[in-house]
Amino acid sequence: MKTALVTGGGAGLGRAIVERLLAEGWRVVSVDRAEGTTVPGLEHLACDLADRHAVDALAERLGGMGPFGLAVFNAGVSATGRFEAIPIEAYRRLMTVNAETPMLLSAGLVRTGQMAGPMCFVSSLSHFTGYPGAAVYAASKDALAVYAKSVRKPFARRGVSVTLACPGPLRTDHARRHAPAGADADRRMPPEVAARIILDATLAGRRLVVPGRANRSVALAGRLLPGTMMRQMRRLIFDRLQGEVW
Amino acid sequence: MPRQKRILITGATSGIGLALVVRHAPDAAVLATGRRSAEEARRVLPDGVAYVQADQRHPERAVAAILSALDDLGWDRLDLAVLNAGTGHAVDPAGETPQMLRDVLDANLFCAVTLAQALRPRLEAGQGRLVLIGSTARKGAAGFASYAAAKAGLHGFARALAEEWRGRIAVQVVHPGPTDTGMHARAGHDPGRLVRLFARTGTMARLIDAAIARGRTVETISFARFLGRGEGGR
Ligand SMILES: NC(=O)c1ccc[n+]([C@@H]2O[C@H](COP(=O)([O-])OP(=O)(O)OC[C@H]3O[C@@H](n4cnc5c(N)ncnc54)[C@H](OP(=O)(O)O)[C@@H]3O)[C@@H](O)[C@H]2O)c1
Repeated sequence: MKTALVTGGGAGLGRAIVERLLAEGWRVVSVDRAEGTTVPGLEHLACDLADRHAVDALAERLGGMGPFGLAVFNAGVSATGRFEAIPIEAYRRLMTVNAETPMLLSAGLVRTGQMAGPMCFVSSLSHFTGYPGAAVYAASKDALAVYAKSVRKPFARRGVSVTLACPGPLRTDHARRHAPAGADADRRMPPEVAARIILDATLAGRRLVVPGRANRSVALAGRLLPGTMMRQMRRLIFDRLQGEVW
Repeated sequence: MPRQKRILITGATSGIGLALVVRHAPDAAVLATGRRSAEEARRVLPDGVAYVQADQRHPERAVAAILSALDDLGWDRLDLAVLNAGTGHAVDPAGETPQMLRDVLDANLFCAVTLAQALRPRLEAGQGRLVLIGSTARKGAAGFASYAAAKAGLHGFARALAEEWRGRIAVQVVHPGPTDTGMHARAGHDPGRLVRLFARTGTMARLIDAAIARGRTVETISFARFLGRGEGGR
């Protein structure tokens, strides 16, 4: 049986990915802050992915658990509100969880020969649109996206394909907490749907996946008219924020 | 007489940062920062330029040192901050150790985020301008993966912040193409004969100043522009 690694597998998109993999017969190692329920085929590793010492210990531990037939670096946190109104410590944690930890874990797994299959980095649609009202979140997700693009060829030489996933708004607790006033939850994609599309693309070795046709149109518009899209995002998000959430 | 401009330039002891200092020192008050000691910095900086050692691999400490230097100078407003300090390693990404990755992300990206927040009151008081120095590598680079990632982060950060701060503080990100500064050698990369096509440091500094004067949120000062002229920016 092949083993998959999923970070942030306890909730939202990560949980949907874990459930789908279990249903397809994978053995899954799920890394999250809290211990989860035990299910056959599923192993939980508790780790605060914002804590450098804990991440170093995790990297060591993963070294003895492979080889992994698949790795999905999905864990992420957000911080929405005016840039200057959120404490720098929160941004430090965010940057570590969203950018530093996945880069470091993926490099370590490839270096030690523990990867025997594809890898997916979950960034965000904000990579194409920009995200005023979440400037540091945007920075972390852009960093992760470009890391994924950068390592695609060198990792491919070691037999590991790299997929960059840029999902748009999802119907998860995370999105609900950070959504601006008046946002319509029905228009967000159910995490199960995004999980299926992202896993199919990753297992097929695709370079980029943006789940959902509407999101792909938004990504295209952001590429063609970045300034216009950014101002639109300001009106839709930054101007409607009602405080800071992190 | 108009009051003298107050300018902070990070990574100002070498390359592009030093060239910017040399351009501005004659008519502005400049605070320069770098990783090296004050004694070593004195040997390269023009007279009259203030200096503070601030190793950006430790963002919290670096920013505290810069803030206390600003306090010592009595600068409660800033006209311009150019966050230029940068560093990278030419390495197979699988060979990048946790320490290398953390240093690159901290020195290039997280320190700039921390500084942006810490400098905001002074920039606002001076109706000032925040300029981040990115790189054309921000779209991806197989031999400099974490550096490219950090520069992409600066790009996304600057674009979002420019929108948030519109009308209060101007925010720009300028992406230089390859420049003949010695950064490549320090990163462990030999560009070979391509170096003839690299922009000269002084040329790049002049083009960065021109980009700052134009004031667009994103500017790329690219290799292709020099190639087109067949003069390697020289
Ligand atoms: N050269 C290029 O081709 C090129 C192309 C695109 C973008 N850029 C960007 O332009 C900027 C300047 O590059 P450059 O070519 O002028 O580089 P450089 O000649 O190597 O100078 C780098 C400067 O940054 C400082 N610095 C490096 N690491 C630091 C740290 N940990 N803490 C504090 N300061 C640190 C250095 O200080 P010390 O001297 O004291 O160590 C030096 O002043 C960088 O952001 C770079 O990424 C350069």
